[in-house]
Amino acid sequence: MLVGGLAMPGTWGVYAFMALVVLPLASWGRVLKELVIATVRVAFPFALSVFLIQGFLWPGGTPIFAVGPLSLKSEGLAFSVASTGRILMVVSSFLWFAFTTRPDMLMLALVQRGLPTSLSYMIVATLQIVPRFQARAAAILDAQRARGVETGGNLIHRVRTVLPLVVPLILSSLIDVEERALALEARGFSRPGVKTSLIEVREATWEPGLRWGIGLAAVALVVLSLWLR
Amino acid sequence: MEIAIQLDRVSYTYPGVSSPALKDVSLAVPAGQICAVVGANGAGKSTLAFTIAGFIPHFYHGTLQGEVTVAGKKTQSTPLSELVTQAGLVFQNPFNQISGTKFTVREEIAFGLENLGMGRDEMLARCEAMMALVGIGDLAERSPLGLSGGQIQRMVIASILAMGPQILVLDEPTSQLDPVGRREVLASIRGLAEEHAMTVVIIEHHLEWLAANADRMVVLADGTIIADGSPGEVLTDEAAWQRGLSRTRYTEAARQASARDCWPAGRRLAVTLDEAEEGFRAAWTS
Repeated sequence: MLVGGLAMPGTWGVYAFMALVVLPLASWGRVLKELVIATVRVAFPFALSVFLIQGFLWPGGTPIFAVGPLSLKSEGLAFSVASTGRILMVVSSFLWFAFTTRPDMLMLALVQRGLPTSLSYMIVATLQIVPRFQARAAAILDAQRARGVETGGNLIHRVRTVLPLVVPLILSSLIDVEERALALEARGFSRPGVKTSLIEVREATWEPGLRWGIGLAAVALVVLSLWLR
Repeated sequence: MEIAIQLDRVSYTYPGVSSPALKDVSLAVPAGQICAVVGANGAGKSTLAFTIAGFIPHFYHGTLQGEVTVAGKKTQSTPLSELVTQAGLVFQNPFNQISGTKFTVREEIAFGLENLGMGRDEMLARCEAMMALVGIGDLAERSPLGLSGGQIQRMVIASILAMGPQILVLDEPTSQLDPVGRREVLASIRGLAEEHAMTVVIIEHHLEWLAANADRMVVLADGTIIADGSPGEVLTDEAAWQRGLSRTRYTEAARQASARDCWPAGRRLAVTLDEAEEGFRAAWTS
């Protein structure tokens, strides 16, 4: 999907791809609202900075209007619209993937295709540990507040809060590593030999064909894009 | 009587440390016994648990002297991956024992079985049986991360038991739980010992529960065993008190009553509620 979207010709091709492919797929996966909100949140700062830098600092070009010594150039504006489209495409396709795919199922499928179990564990455990990490950070922040550390206020105050939060967060996480390793060993994690799985990754008969079809469509779009240039 | 755990003159020193954490410890735990291990912080309780479960010397290398035999296997010469199917270990912090890779309680319980390479049908059957055993059958489809501390600890116990050990070693399993979680976990442990005749070694600070439920109590201080006997004998042992062993609230009440001649002469001090009731009734009627 990402390759296909980025291969779309013209400035508005990528937007058309998002409207006709990404958003309907997100709606089908019942993640449309979350996807739109998260994409805007992530992509907006990039899009804004691209618009300001490219729109106003484009060398030469045709001015549309001037603000003091700076003028918005039509070529810069067109470039920023095209760049924003690509950014939105990259962000939305990754988020669509993250919102609709269970990491453990993905990893299991990859392990069945030869990915080492330990690598799969590291990836999934890292994704799963984020909420726990956030909860711990909140607990440490509350503890620091209880001791009178000012955590709100202006930027300088907030920056000062970082150290009393980060140091205990990192140290306590390092201490946990040993117990986590013990807990994994207690469950036979490093046992040599074949491992099995409770979950079965079942593939419908039409899925391999769909995968090939999507791959071919992506290649076709890339070729089309190169041909139209 | 079959001996499930045998420690013969065991000493252990952690790497990079000069003084040993266990000193010349000998202990024989018969199969089916609930053996409580108590003592102050730093007494060597967790080290003893790691030694029984085989994490010493396989995970913590250090210097181990003496001989440890668990379920008939010498721990020094048996791989840890084999020992974990003989003696399961449950730790203090429930959250650190979640594998972090599973999305439901059933899958989490199956994690160890997957590592053992068990077939899916047997795995499912064991998961269901173990969830029923610790009373979390209704949580099968819930996320492990959304459970309470007590529920997680019971899930961890089920995960360990699913691997089929004959021995369960619990290192302060309730120390980080609220009173409700503590009651849930301790009730599960009691059920296991009563209904499944498991050998249980439990390190726990809840003396009232141990007094009523343990078959035997071992007191550790500075890496050595300073008292070993029934909970009634150990918890009323003045020498052990002097070495820092706490008293149950019933023992304290009986002790104070005894000092005021309100406890039957010659009667051992109470360690449980039932013993306290009997003792005070006897004192009242005499």
